[in-house]
Amino acid sequence: MLEIFNIGSVPMSPRYKSALLSLASLAIGYGWYFASLFADYRAGVHGHQAVHLRVTILAIALVQILGRVVIAGTSSDRYGPMDEREIVFDWRATTIGYYLLLAGSLAAMATLHAGAQAADMANAALLAIIVAECARQGVFLMLHHRAG
Amino acid sequence: MLPISNRVREEREARGLTQSQLGDIVGLTRQTIAAIEQRRYAPSLEIAFRMARLFGVPLDQLFTWEE
Repeated sequence: MLEIFNIGSVPMSPRYKSALLSLASLAIGYGWYFASLFADYRAGVHGHQAVHLRVTILAIALVQILGRVVIAGTSSDRYGPMDEREIVFDWRATTIGYYLLLAGSLAAMATLHAGAQAADMANAALLAIIVAECARQGVFLMLHHRAG
Repeated sequence: MLPISNRVREEREARGLTQSQLGDIVGLTRQTIAAIEQRRYAPSLEIAFRMARLFGVPLDQLFTWEE
């Protein structure tokens, strides 16, 4: 068992591991997508975005499905429903993610006024969604450490 | 650390229960039981009453406010 899955002497719950997996896969997967998108913009190359996005979505889906199967198969705890502590953590994390998504959505719409094309606005909206989801998972993990 | 101390670990161990078993009985995960025992999380009143009834001790003996 990796030490990162433990807080003190207590192994982390499957839900904690799933959140860690989601955060890592989203950050790495979409980090690569937006980095390649930015590189294409700088090079003046267009047309790769759709392919890169499909590859990213498929890779993340594959990693998350396989990762959850591994987590379910190797965890000493069963993947049960959230208890009251996890529900509070999830509620707090979702609240922060919601406000980030709201701000990101407004910023994405604002790109139209800056002369962006529809595809640019779609990418900005996608970035807002990913940032909000990463923040949600990150806060969920952080709360586990603060009140673990 | 929270200002509420508790005797959950002592009462649980006196009855030979593991954290997982206690969690299954009262509806919490093992991690939450560990957090309660380490005074890093204060359970809801409902869970506190469930534990007190399970252990057969008054609530104020199981959980104590420390000034």
